[in-house]
Amino acid sequence: MMATALRVDQAIDYRYLVQDGRLHGSLYTSPEIFAQEMEEIFHRGWSFVAHDSEIPNPGDFVVRRVGTQSLIALRGKDGIVRVFYNRCPHRGATLCQTTSGHRSRITCPYHAWTFALDGRLIGLPDEGAYPDDFSKGDAGLMPVARMDSYGGFIFVNLIPNALSLREHLGHATELIDALIGLSPTGRIQLTAGWMKHKMRSNWKMIVENQVDGYHAPMVHGSLIAANRTFATVRDRKPTSPTRVRDFGMGHTDIDHASDYRAAGDRLFRWTGGIEPERLPGYVKSMNDAYGPEDARRRLIEGPPHSMLFPNISLAEMNIMVIEPVSPELSIQYTTPVFLEGADDLNARTLRRCEGAMGPAGFLIADDAEIGELTQMGVANLEPEWIILSRGLGKEEVLPNGVKLAGLMDETSQRGFWNHYREVMAASQEGAR
Amino acid sequence: MTTVTLEPAAIDRTAVNQFLILEARLQDEHRYDDWEALWADEDTLYWVPMREDTDPRCEVSYIYDNRSRLASRIRQLNTGARHSQAPQSRLRRLISNLEIDQADDGITVHSNFILLESRRKLLTTWGGRTTHLLTPDGDSFRIKRKTVLLVNSDEAIGNLAFLV
Repeated sequence: MMATALRVDQAIDYRYLVQDGRLHGSLYTSPEIFAQEMEEIFHRGWSFVAHDSEIPNPGDFVVRRVGTQSLIALRGKDGIVRVFYNRCPHRGATLCQTTSGHRSRITCPYHAWTFALDGRLIGLPDEGAYPDDFSKGDAGLMPVARMDSYGGFIFVNLIPNALSLREHLGHATELIDALIGLSPTGRIQLTAGWMKHKMRSNWKMIVENQVDGYHAPMVHGSLIAANRTFATVRDRKPTSPTRVRDFGMGHTDIDHASDYRAAGDRLFRWTGGIEPERLPGYVKSMNDAYGPEDARRRLIEGPPHSMLFPNISLAEMNIMVIEPVSPELSIQYTTPVFLEGADDLNARTLRRCEGAMGPAGFLIADDAEIGELTQMGVANLEPEWIILSRGLGKEEVLPNGVKLAGLMDETSQRGFWNHYREVMAASQEGAR
Repeated sequence: MTTVTLEPAAIDRTAVNQFLILEARLQDEHRYDDWEALWADEDTLYWVPMREDTDPRCEVSYIYDNRSRLASRIRQLNTGARHSQAPQSRLRRLISNLEIDQADDGITVHSNFILLESRRKLLTTWGGRTTHLLTPDGDSFRIKRKTVLLVNSDEAIGNLAFLV
């Protein structure tokens, strides 16, 4: 079964709108393009929906929006997570109104049709009044077409496409590995709840900004001026050893580890420079888990600062998820990453998340403001094209196809857009 | 609040009310340093949780400022270059429904607020319940702790870079 979606029959030439080094402004403003993106990228491709640790026990659920669809991720009595459409198969009522919770079964508020945690319809009032050919077995909760997970990150694909999740993630599995590999058990816990930040900009501007190494001294100049730690923890100059990377499939990052490594063997610069002596339990458990040499490498290099196509950012010790609402409106969700077996670090991670992120955060409130200004700006029809050519043609290409460029180059944004162009153009050319 | 208590005579209700009205005006008019001066010098907490009855040790909050982070917040606003408050929001808020209790470590004041924010073409209504813990300071007070629970704290909210 396929998700219902608004069909837009107008052909749009994405190979014209997305060029090497420039983008057409309508990509951020057109309702037709937005509708096609919801179907082609969010429904037909793989999208992040939830993390395993958010629903640890049978009956735990979260409700998430993917594209235009409201989905319930629910753990069954058998311990298996399933993802269902948030819609009663009977007359269509919304089943779960809260964004998270715990249920022993799912009961529709309209006519009390009741479903087991694995989706089976197990009861309805006055069942005998239905015709003989009515079968409860055909009227259970509707699961999404495909779901799969990596490192506890659960992804869904509403309209089946040709790729497996592993093929979609490609080199991005290395980024997930780097994050979960900061835990001595290899597991993270996303249990702190999600900040929900309304941003008056197109979702793709948030994607671009997540891996933009160019804006920080300008957009975050007020924080650099006000906070000494933030001002000194990283080299943000054009000559910084930090690389941006394009992994293909639209996945990109800012590789701060290249800066951390170049600065010597100091641990924990990614925490804002905490001294290792203050985290003795965490350092010991990392040494025990990985051996001193490998543990040391992990604690120098820290977490990835990456954007996984299309909607999840491993943003150092935060996870950020982008929910498109309309061409001009998005919601950004942010939660701190707790590392299993690192309680002494987790308390600090939580407070750092609040300081930097979300609607009151010292960083992200200003990113939201710039996004809003950009959205207002591109509503103007001229000069028509956005310039995205910084560093174009100067990238280093590794044997595995990964492209490297300087911190301030727009290689990371072009990595997103190159994949976007292929996905969207294929939909118009009948090539998918 | 499930109980109604008679306010002890020792609490000067008018002085408490005047203090909250002063604080509101300093926030509305972006008088950052004057607002910061209302706070005690140490062991303070400025907290905007994401829901009621949350445990801030394991759940994320919109704001959880100790004294040092509060000072950072004010320093950043004072640069004049915090984009999310450049231009500043036009703000006016009403404070009402005060309930005042004697606490072990000061005076607890519960109040409701409605705040209008005008920025660009948007007029945004904010509202919620505030709990202050005040300590007497001469003939006025200092803020030890301020908790603001927005009525829409569990919904997506826009920038909250002004002082709430």
